Amino acid sequence: MKNPNNDTAEYITACSAAGRLTARIIRPANPVPAPPVVVLHGISRNAGILAQLFAPEAERTGRTIVVPHFPEKSWPDFQRPSKAARPDQALLALLDAVAAKLPDGAGTVDLFGHSGGAQLTHRFAMLYPHRVAALHLVAAGWYCLPDDTMTYPYGLASGTDRFSTAWARRNAHGLRDFLGLPVCVYVGSKDVIRDPALRTNRTLDARQGPNRHARARTYVMALNAAAERHDLPARAQFVELTDCDHDVVHALTHNHLAFRVLDARSQAPRSQAV
Amino acid sequence: MTLAATLDDAKWTFVTRRVERSRVARTDTDFAAARPGDLILAHVDKVGQHRRVQLPTGRPSFIFAGDAVVIACGARYAPDQFEGLAEIDPDGADLLAGGGCIGRMVARSSQVEAATRLMPAARLLDTFGNVLNLADFALAPRPAGPRPPVIGVVGTSMNSGKTLATAQLVLGLRRAGFRVGAIKITGTGAFGDYNEYADSGAHFVADFTDAGMVTTYREPLDRIKAATETLADEAGARGCDIVVMELADGLLQRETAAIIADQWFANLISGLVFACGDAVAAAGGAAILARHGLIPDAVTGMVSCSPMSSAEAAEATGRTVLTKADLADPAEATGFALRAGLGRKEAA
Repeated sequence: MKNPNNDTAEYITACSAAGRLTARIIRPANPVPAPPVVVLHGISRNAGILAQLFAPEAERTGRTIVVPHFPEKSWPDFQRPSKAARPDQALLALLDAVAAKLPDGAGTVDLFGHSGGAQLTHRFAMLYPHRVAALHLVAAGWYCLPDDTMTYPYGLASGTDRFSTAWARRNAHGLRDFLGLPVCVYVGSKDVIRDPALRTNRTLDARQGPNRHARARTYVMALNAAAERHDLPARAQFVELTDCDHDVVHALTHNHLAFRVLDARSQAPRSQAV
Repeated sequence: MTLAATLDDAKWTFVTRRVERSRVARTDTDFAAARPGDLILAHVDKVGQHRRVQLPTGRPSFIFAGDAVVIACGARYAPDQFEGLAEIDPDGADLLAGGGCIGRMVARSSQVEAATRLMPAARLLDTFGNVLNLADFALAPRPAGPRPPVIGVVGTSMNSGKTLATAQLVLGLRRAGFRVGAIKITGTGAFGDYNEYADSGAHFVADFTDAGMVTTYREPLDRIKAATETLADEAGARGCDIVVMELADGLLQRETAAIIADQWFANLISGLVFACGDAVAAAGGAAILARHGLIPDAVTGMVSCSPMSSAEAAEATGRTVLTKADLADPAEATGFALRAGLGRKEAA
């Protein structure tokens, strides 16, 4: 494929009905049989920086890392499936392409997403839990709660129009499988600013919280409560990133977030600060 | 011309796709003894409704008076074309289906021309004098093993949208990452549906012909059930995660009616899609299904083309109405797989 950055890195491009999606693949010299980690950027679209900061962890752990890039021009909307865009379909096609290319890529993957990428990550896992092994959500602006307390896209209650009804149904199909996933929800201790990128409205603020920090806590509680209603163990954990705001680079360089994500498979779920 | 040369020149029809042609050694003309599935060499006498036959390569071939064709004796039930029986008159027979079915037409829709007439020339025999039959080349039943979940697709009638629904659901499931088998368990052998399934990306495609029948019309129910299990098991053996299974014609058609009334069907399927022409048909069909304890997961078909008809059908049946685009959407199709038990196998 054409190398979008004219560098020596390895890239893969997948085509789908939703559009084309390219990702950088970071393959360690000594791979281990573990799911690849797919790293999704937020609205800053800093895939290159994420790839750079995750690369040492690929080498340390032997795990393959896949970093998709949703360019502004072709993907003005990529944070969630909508009438305007279907990033979930593009991501499915990318996973298929990765599975075809990598010896250990045929199974499920671990998904990491920051901000808008965390928005897409948790919604993708709700729709396609069979493609996911674990979730790492970093400071999403808001969430689709796994219950009927809010109408779609804030929760799973059906709205009045066909679109929201259809998507509420689609997200509810795999709810039990989704609730069985291990989920780490990370948020900076200082990520409490209601910046212009944060979606706000009275209902959302009231039900999920006024900022990303509060909303992350709400989401973890909602996940574990839903799991309990389904007689499943609580597998969602809240992880506060000490002295961190909404800057994912800070979280990766100062809070060792990549290290933690790549090692998460051997850690017991619990709430903690790092 | 020798038999071998005649057979080389003949147009072998789609239903003969599994036949090992080298096993043809002799012929006879005992057409009165012909049974469904027997291989027949015939010549085109007069071209009528069917101007083409379907070849094993998947393309249609025009036929002309005098052409030799290899075809299977069989019955046919097609309300928009013919009803026919698996009987061969040595003085002339009918081309009941372009996929390769010869028999005697007994009823014809006023919408179509008279059947293309064929002059039977021979029954094909093996070296021991046994009549060669499609069943001789059928897939063998697989030893008992885990069978992939099966999603049934039924409809109110021909052209209600069953095949499109089947193909689109195959596409949606494939896009979601599943390996999908597509099978058709009743009807008359033809490549249209078969090709549509394959075009949608099914990893394994088969129909009752692969289980030895040119048509399922007037076949014993137990034979159709056994064939269905063979095809579903074969899909599993070929690595399919899930199977989408179409039943031909409408709910009132003889074999389809018998199948849906049999508890075996309810036990076999893990999901059900119901294709309807309109809202009234949806209501009536849902009632028929309910009498057998069958509740479709979704209504689809021609009715879904109209938002107003869809709303009527949803109101009348209480079921979700899905368009073809919905079925092809991996987010929607995944629901069928997850309800069928194809969720996460273990916690990571």
